[in-house]
Amino acid sequence: MTGQEQSTTVGQLSTPTNGDSRVPATLTRLVWVLWIVSLGVLAVRFRGGGGWEIAGLVAVDGLTAVMWATVTFFSGIVHSYSRRYMAGSRRIDRFFGRVFAFTLAVMLLVAADHLALFGLAWLAMGLLMADLIGHVEGWPQAQAAASLARRYFLASSALLTIALATLWWDTGATTISGFASSVAGASPTVVLFAAGALLLAAMVQSALVPFHTWLLASMTGPTPASALMHAGFVNAGGVLLVRFAPVVTADAGVMLAVVLVGAASALLGKLLRTVQTDAKGKLGCSTVGQMGFMIMQAGLGFFGAAITHLILHGFYKAYQFLSSGGEVEHESPTKTKAKQSGSVGLAGVAVIVLTALAGGAVFAGLTGKGTQLDSGVLLVGLVVLTVMHATRDVVTQTSLPTLVRYGAVPLVALPAIAIYATVYGVIEGLLSGLPAIGQPAELTLAYGLVGAAFLAVYLAIETGVYRRSQRLYVALLNATQPPTDTLLTTTEDYNEY
Amino acid sequence: MSTESAIEESIDAAAESVGAVWPLHSFVTANPLSGFEDRPFHEAVADAEELLGGGGYPSAETFRRAWEGGQIDPEILRDQLSANGYDADPEAALDRIEAGGASDSTAARSPAAEQVDAVLTKWLSAFLDQGRAEWPMPNREQGFYDAFRTVAPHDGDVPGNETIADLPEQPVDAIRTRLSEYPVGEWQDIFEFQLTALPGWTGFIKQRAADNDAWQSTYPITLSGYLAVRLTLADLFGAPLAPEEAPGDADRSAKTADGTVPLPEVWLSAWEATYRAELVDSLTDASASVAADSGSDRPDAQFVFCIDTRSEIIRRHIEATGDYETHGYAGFFGIPMRYSGYDSDVTVDACPPIVDAEHHIDDRPAADCNENHHRTYDRWNTALTTAEKAMKSVKSNAATAFSFVESTGAGYGLALATRTLLPARVYDLADATDERLPGDHEVCEPSVDHHPGADDELPQGLTLEEKVEYAAAAFELTGWEQFARVVVFAGHASHTTNNPFGSSLDCGACAGNPGGPNARVLATICNDEAVREKLRERGIDVPEDTVFVAGEHNTTTDEVELYDGSVPETHEDDVEQLRADLATARAGAAAERAGDMGGETETGVRETERRAADWAETRPEWGLAGNAGFVIGPRELTDDLDLDGRSFLHSYDWRTDDDGDALEAILTGPMVVTQWINAQYYFATVDNAVYGSGSKVTHNPVGNIGVYQGNGGDLMTGLPLQSLTSADDEPYHQPLRLSTVIHAPVERVTAVVAEHENLAGLLDNDWLSLTVVDPTQDHRALHYTGDLNWTPLTEQARTEAPKPAATSTVADD
Repeated sequence: MTGQEQSTTVGQLSTPTNGDSRVPATLTRLVWVLWIVSLGVLAVRFRGGGGWEIAGLVAVDGLTAVMWATVTFFSGIVHSYSRRYMAGSRRIDRFFGRVFAFTLAVMLLVAADHLALFGLAWLAMGLLMADLIGHVEGWPQAQAAASLARRYFLASSALLTIALATLWWDTGATTISGFASSVAGASPTVVLFAAGALLLAAMVQSALVPFHTWLLASMTGPTPASALMHAGFVNAGGVLLVRFAPVVTADAGVMLAVVLVGAASALLGKLLRTVQTDAKGKLGCSTVGQMGFMIMQAGLGFFGAAITHLILHGFYKAYQFLSSGGEVEHESPTKTKAKQSGSVGLAGVAVIVLTALAGGAVFAGLTGKGTQLDSGVLLVGLVVLTVMHATRDVVTQTSLPTLVRYGAVPLVALPAIAIYATVYGVIEGLLSGLPAIGQPAELTLAYGLVGAAFLAVYLAIETGVYRRSQRLYVALLNATQPPTDTLLTTTEDYNEY
Repeated sequence: MSTESAIEESIDAAAESVGAVWPLHSFVTANPLSGFEDRPFHEAVADAEELLGGGGYPSAETFRRAWEGGQIDPEILRDQLSANGYDADPEAALDRIEAGGASDSTAARSPAAEQVDAVLTKWLSAFLDQGRAEWPMPNREQGFYDAFRTVAPHDGDVPGNETIADLPEQPVDAIRTRLSEYPVGEWQDIFEFQLTALPGWTGFIKQRAADNDAWQSTYPITLSGYLAVRLTLADLFGAPLAPEEAPGDADRSAKTADGTVPLPEVWLSAWEATYRAELVDSLTDASASVAADSGSDRPDAQFVFCIDTRSEIIRRHIEATGDYETHGYAGFFGIPMRYSGYDSDVTVDACPPIVDAEHHIDDRPAADCNENHHRTYDRWNTALTTAEKAMKSVKSNAATAFSFVESTGAGYGLALATRTLLPARVYDLADATDERLPGDHEVCEPSVDHHPGADDELPQGLTLEEKVEYAAAAFELTGWEQFARVVVFAGHASHTTNNPFGSSLDCGACAGNPGGPNARVLATICNDEAVREKLRERGIDVPEDTVFVAGEHNTTTDEVELYDGSVPETHEDDVEQLRADLATARAGAAAERAGDMGGETETGVRETERRAADWAETRPEWGLAGNAGFVIGPRELTDDLDLDGRSFLHSYDWRTDDDGDALEAILTGPMVVTQWINAQYYFATVDNAVYGSGSKVTHNPVGNIGVYQGNGGDLMTGLPLQSLTSADDEPYHQPLRLSTVIHAPVERVTAVVAEHENLAGLLDNDWLSLTVVDPTQDHRALHYTGDLNWTPLTEQARTEAPKPAATSTVADD
């Protein structure tokens, strides 16, 4: 047992060869280079410089810079992650090619000024994403899901084309920047029609209810493709509204409609999520809700907030997708029934209320939202509610040391809100040159109703009263069912091995 | 079959065709074709293909690769081809397999049947969810059938959904109504046809109903309840209830009746025989030198590892660092326990599925533990769970989720970048945190002592007699003769990130759970003075100065952690030395295993650490991939060999086992479990869609119990593609049936096999092979050929036909 003697090897297995081509590595490097360039552009823009353009074709403005930096970051993460995650996949080169091409399409979209270029980039995004959903070639369910998504994206492209063609026909402008000045003189009916078509296109791309089916049936794509979809693709609806803000904001009625469809999706998406049992389905429903909220922010006139939301949500959702493999835990059936007892005491109530108000104050003070009596009040209200909710959860945890119970949330939440406010401030500043944004809507009864709806849903979920309706349960479950032909009910069909 | 019990029985019989599926958090290894083990291998795979659609043999492509890679001995192959009446030209044979494989198109299913499956998977995932949905299916506590009966009438996706409310109260009555048009004699075929439609879900229901775990007792589901729902839906959708008159049936019996072995099986046998010949040759050589070896001196320390194939690598490297002796023993250390961690509200049965848990053991604060330590531990735990709970609650409420995402988004961005770009740093971070905080095993100890009257299904703890029994079994089965100053029992566990199949890399003998707790229990028992007293009476003399230490082998990083809380001062130096040597051994083992994964060997430890913590890594370690052999015998037989982590090793000494009891225990226990593990790897490799889980890159975890591929549908079962292949087109695992080699007199083996019908059945039906290296017959190798007959291996390799067997009976009973 000296270990020095030469041992005989029995039945040695062959060592894996590193057969992957150079495509993934090259594209990964390239996309990170693009990120660094984008950061440079962003920095120059932030200092008020830049403003490059090829007249009539592309124009690099604040939105372009922000979205370039964002999308190249997500794409870089997805590239780097996939180099290990997708290692050994049969069509890995094609996968990287599509992801990279998608990145370029988004970069083109946010820089495009010419209408045709914008429309083409929009179409290309959709087709590339549909291809990624159907990445696994020999799998019929993946192909069915891909063609479903493709149909949706073609429809949104058609809607976009109709909107752009109508506007062009009426105003003669061939560029987005041209609209800013010419929309004022256009016929209100045309503008209303175009705005409606734009809103529909945005809803499809952002998977708002009732156009969410393609998103919930898209899980046949590899996980990193889903991450890119939820962090980079669904945002297109928000970008569209910001780009065409002069058209969309021309009519207050349209803006109200944007708020309503956004709010409906926000609340429904979250309700749909409650009945999901699969990790990616849950994330999909959550995206439906988050995109609804983002569109609602745009409808309220806070376009900067919408862009901030879609970026921060992208971080969150990409993370959730890329870590979705961890979603298998051993739980006990009885734990779900256990209700935590909450004797809070007067001090506890005071802490909860004060922390919540402080959260709202920090948010309003740093972002300027809700300091006037406009639709921003709604957003501040939600922040107060969130902080209150989190504080209550921790304060009622009586087994924790008092200092932690009372201090943890203020210590964590207030700086977190401040960070949000900083990001928001930067983006707001970058977008400041864009036409027709930054006009919060006036507070009307309709917004009051939206606020009331949020509060009602909050209370319904807190008290669990909505769970009394079995009919609602079935309705939610059925609303999230992917079409039958995208479900792998016979595993032999999955012959990709 | 009109009585209720007759119908239930018939359903259970029909469900035999579907392999049991365990929840993914405790990945229990089982042969997916265990219901077919009562017939010869080639019939079993043919029947399974008919029912489940899965292929049963490696593809022509796989054989060609093995053939060209020299893994199949041409002489053995030619002999076996001609012995079975096939043309002896290998290339032509491969072409024939290829041509045969192309015609396996299965009949397209009716669209109505697809709809039935889609609706069923919706309701099954809703009902069987284990804590994922915030709003679980209503009325679950009434059981599946009743919950469906009351909730599904609202399901507008089902034609005639209102009628669901009128279903009879008893599922059996519903079944009877739906099948009234069919003769009772056809019912079992109908049940089988319906139960094999969604084998993943059906297998899960079957397992859950049989094991009666906490979820089952809270939300019961039965196969008859499921079948009643299934038949109802099939009727409403107009899908076929009974299988079509399968033309395949006649075909099938024709295929198997003439007794010819299918061509792929001949290739498979030749491939196995080639590996076996190499293994057995080395063992026969070693056997002679073992006999010559006289008793050795007392080693510095002894280790007991699981029989797991991965232990072979670390054992080799540990032995190389000093005067150490290592043993192989079932990784649950013979203790059939139901275990719950400290402060945990779930229990796991940490024993193989062929054994029932008999004792409840939980982790309790250690008596001699530092009070401060314990408080810190508690405080951290509460803080963490509170934070987690608060996050979850804020995330899930419709009104608060949006602001939550905005406030935390930047943090997630940072985490995205760190985990993706600096995965090895993530390991360091976790490691550093672990070091600062007290761990479970430092502040807790297992409740080993018997507590009569504990309110529990199982007795709490172990009585003295039971303790002695388990300790003695460990030493008797492994043929233990002398004790070193330190004896380490090392369980094993894996460490992976973002991996739904993490538990498939944990200890198979502990039902997909870490083996550390079991090791701790056995070490505690063996350190007990009262137990040692009794052991002495049984002739097992543990010296005063022997200390038993538990530990856990991390199979991903090859780190062996020692739980040294109870080591007396006198042995501190020994343990210190051990620790240093374990670090050296780890470096060697990690380098070897990093190389096996195609990584850099010079930075082996770092590479394995990165793989453990990297969320983008789909191949954190190879698990038991490559497994092909099982050696039952003393370590001296194998300690000069590098078995490349492909062989299970169970220590056994025929000289200390005159009555053959130890051998019997090993063959009926560990050998059956290893055969299941081996079959699981085999079938997942030959048909990864039906018997495996497909590629990880499109996995979608569902309900804490399993994974979907993509959007949903049937539950995927078995190992994922990345556990078996180094690339989509490059297999790593070689699909070979288990080759067991026993170092013992052949009569003794025959006696055990003759005694156990199930063992003889498995062997006679070619589910695994058995070879004996007989130390009493000049170290000759004898191969089992069925019906308790043996043939000398050297000649056998040339003349053996897999079935019917050879003529020369070397030994009989």
